[in-house]
Amino acid sequence: MNTLCQQDTNLRDAIRFEEMERPQMPADLNARLMKRVEAHSPSARVRKLWPWLAAACVAAFIAVYVTPPKDGTGDVMETLAVTAKAEQSQAPTPVAPKVEEPRHAVVPVEAPEKAKPQKPRQRAAATENLMAQQSAAPSAQTAVVETDLVATADPKAEAEMTVLSERDIPITRPENYQYTREELAQLKKQAAEAYLKWVELEMEISRNNLEQTAQK
Amino acid sequence: MNQVTDINLIQGLLKQDSKAQRAMLERYGQFVFAQVARLVPGIENAEEVYQDVFVKVFRSIDTYDVQKSSLLTWLSRIAYHESVSYLRRSSIPVIYFEDREGEAEKLSESEVDATFGQPNPETVQLIRAALTHLPPDERAIITMFYYEEMSLNDIAYITESIPTTVASKLSRTRKKLCKIIKMLQS
Repeated sequence: MNTLCQQDTNLRDAIRFEEMERPQMPADLNARLMKRVEAHSPSARVRKLWPWLAAACVAAFIAVYVTPPKDGTGDVMETLAVTAKAEQSQAPTPVAPKVEEPRHAVVPVEAPEKAKPQKPRQRAAATENLMAQQSAAPSAQTAVVETDLVATADPKAEAEMTVLSERDIPITRPENYQYTREELAQLKKQAAEAYLKWVELEMEISRNNLEQTAQK
Repeated sequence: MNQVTDINLIQGLLKQDSKAQRAMLERYGQFVFAQVARLVPGIENAEEVYQDVFVKVFRSIDTYDVQKSSLLTWLSRIAYHESVSYLRRSSIPVIYFEDREGEAEKLSESEVDATFGQPNPETVQLIRAALTHLPPDERAIITMFYYEEMSLNDIAYITESIPTTVASKLSRTRKKLCKIIKMLQS
């Protein structure tokens, strides 16, 4: 076959001329090809993606670092607020005089310090102290209300009644994230009693108004 | 030296290194483009096939076997098959001479040798005209053999054939060319 290749001079020359006249490769073809290759290469895709991934990771880290840990205070506050609103909406149209809110509704925002588990004895003592404080320092308006209510309320029930405060159920502390059954029952009872008292107060106010208008 | 640099080039291509890819294009780009342009008519079509060839080469460089063929032969194989499949796919009309009655086979070897062997500028021009009437695959084989001076083994590897088939195909093509020249002369 090599001899054939050597002896066919006419054929070789013809093919050589043909190849010489063939169109040359465009100068920018390789550059265009490289662009196409780089656009489809996985490394280019990774190069485009990694800044976004890094930014997302940093943002997530900052969000986790900045956001304070959930301690459940907000939830309780919200439920209390919602309950109060619902009660207000159920109430009759006459505007009630501003009554001092029970102390347990105000959750003091304490500085985050290491919580210590509170013993039941301490809790009971704290409740008694609070009761004493509440009874010792009544305001002028509440005094009126209390005298009215005392007349209608059962003295035995009042003696047994204990008012729960934030100190008794320190839900902001991690060890008290959940209420016990007794605490929940007591809270329900307390809420019902508060509602009853409020209704009675409203009725008393409207009765007074009626009397005043009758006198006029 | 070239063998060593080819190995370096392949190592770079395996790592998808853009420098190695550029070096590959600089070294073998012209050769591959010529091979593609020989088979595919129209420069735009040839450019498209050329790009497809190198995209395929860069993606499947891990399938290259040094023991089976040289890098150039492997590239030629890919270029040949991409061009042929492009022609089939795009259905570009190709007009060529087909010896249905087998008249070319009737020509004697001495007659064919005399046509191609005796230097004659007129015959060269006639051969050039006759080459355009050959089908693309036959033109590619004859160019690989006479112009690029490839061995029958390499041509067989490129066309996915065996050397004896390539040899008989070359012989048939020579006779066919001779027949076309005689037709052009008459």
